[in-house]
Formats: sequence, C-alpha cells, structure tokens
Amino acid sequence: MLALTRKIGERIVIGDNIVVTVVGIKGDSIRLAIEAPKEVKIYRGEIFDAIAAENKQAAISTDLSELDLLKELQIKK
Amino acid sequence: MKIESTRFGELEVAEEQLIHFSYGIPGFPEEKTFVHMGYDSESPFSYLQSTAEVNLTFLLADPFAFINDYEFVLEDYVAEELDLSLENPPQVFLIATVKGKLADMTVNLLAPVVVNGINRTGRQVILDKPEYSIRYKLFPDGLPKEAVKGGK
Repeated sequence: MLALTRKIGERIVIGDNIVVTVVGIKGDSIRLAIEAPKEVKIYRGEIFDAIAAENKQAAISTDLSELDLLKELQIKK
Repeated sequence: MKIESTRFGELEVAEEQLIHFSYGIPGFPEEKTFVHMGYDSESPFSYLQSTAEVNLTFLLADPFAFINDYEFVLEDYVAEELDLSLENPPQVFLIATVKGKLADMTVNLLAPVVVNGINRTGRQVILDKPEYSIRYKLFPDGLPKEAVKGGK
C-alpha cells in the first residue's frame, strides 16, 4: 500500500485517467474530487462493504429448511 | 453440463440457464458463473447457484411482484457492459436474505441484480438511492394468508 500526504489543491494521478484532487478540509472531513472514466465505478467504501456483507448474509445456509415452504407459497407475480 | 449443489444435489444444467457475472458480485468476486433456476413461471422467487462453489446459493425475488414503485435509472456503463437497450430491456432481481423464518425475509433494494436474458450476462448494480434499504422487509405484515395455507 502507498500512503501519500497531500495539501489542498494537490492531486494524485492513478494510471492514465484517474485524478483525485483534495478540494477541501473541514475539521475531520476531507472533500475529494475524483475524475475517472465512467466505466470505473466509485463507491463510498462503507456502501460497497455493506453490500458485500449483506451478500454474505444472503448466501443461503445449507441447513435452512424454511425455504422448502417457498414451494408452497402461492404468491404470484 | 453437470453442477454440484449442496442445496439441490446434482443438477443437469443447460447453457441457457447460466448467467455470467464478469466481475463476480460484491463479497464474492471470484464467483463469475451462476445457474438461474426458477420454481415455476408463476413464482416471483428463483435461485442463483454458483457453478464453482457447491455451498453458494442465493434466493432471488422479482421486485415488481412486491414493490409497485420500485425503479431506478440504469446507468450507461451497465447498459453498455450488458448490451441492454430499450429493445432488449433487463431482467431485474433482488437478492433475498432469509435468517430463520421465511416471514422475516429481507431483500436488498439498493443493489439489484440486472441481467441480460439474451446473452446471459449480469451484474449486481449499486444504486445511488440512499432511500432504498439493503434490508427491506418483504412481508411487513407476515406471510400472505393464502401463502400460509399452502399450495395443495
């Protein structure tokens, strides 16, 4: 891992087409501006982590017999 | 092809039942191919079974069967990646989480699975809609009455 110290207005360039600029600092919050190609998805870390964590929760445990009830459910589309 | 599944045992699977996720899904980046299996054409529920990991099965729900106003704008990069268009619209599924009781099932509204049913590619998309819950209770009033009675 690379750790860099930057001042307001300074940038980090990643690869050929991603630029991260430190726009401002207020208290313990840092505002970043990110320029990247549209196919590069950018998420707040905690949202991606929450989705990944929920997917792990959603993986059906192999001993979950309750699901057999779904067959009986007469819920229609 | 034959697929091993802890939940379903040995499955004989046709190519048309596979969905390819180029980037895996969050939390399971290595799982790139799943079998999509419905109960029957009438049910809003279906399963995704990993072709590589016998223990990895997800329950999917059709959002539009439960949430009338569920909507999102498909971003261009997803449409391009999956080759979706107005003529070839996506199939949309929600990943369900069942812990214990079926009635307490939740679905992930924030990260729907978007699938091109023609070329069999898919991606779990993370929406920019903070009002959508990751754990939305599908049956806030308990299981529907007719469901509790059972089918037969």
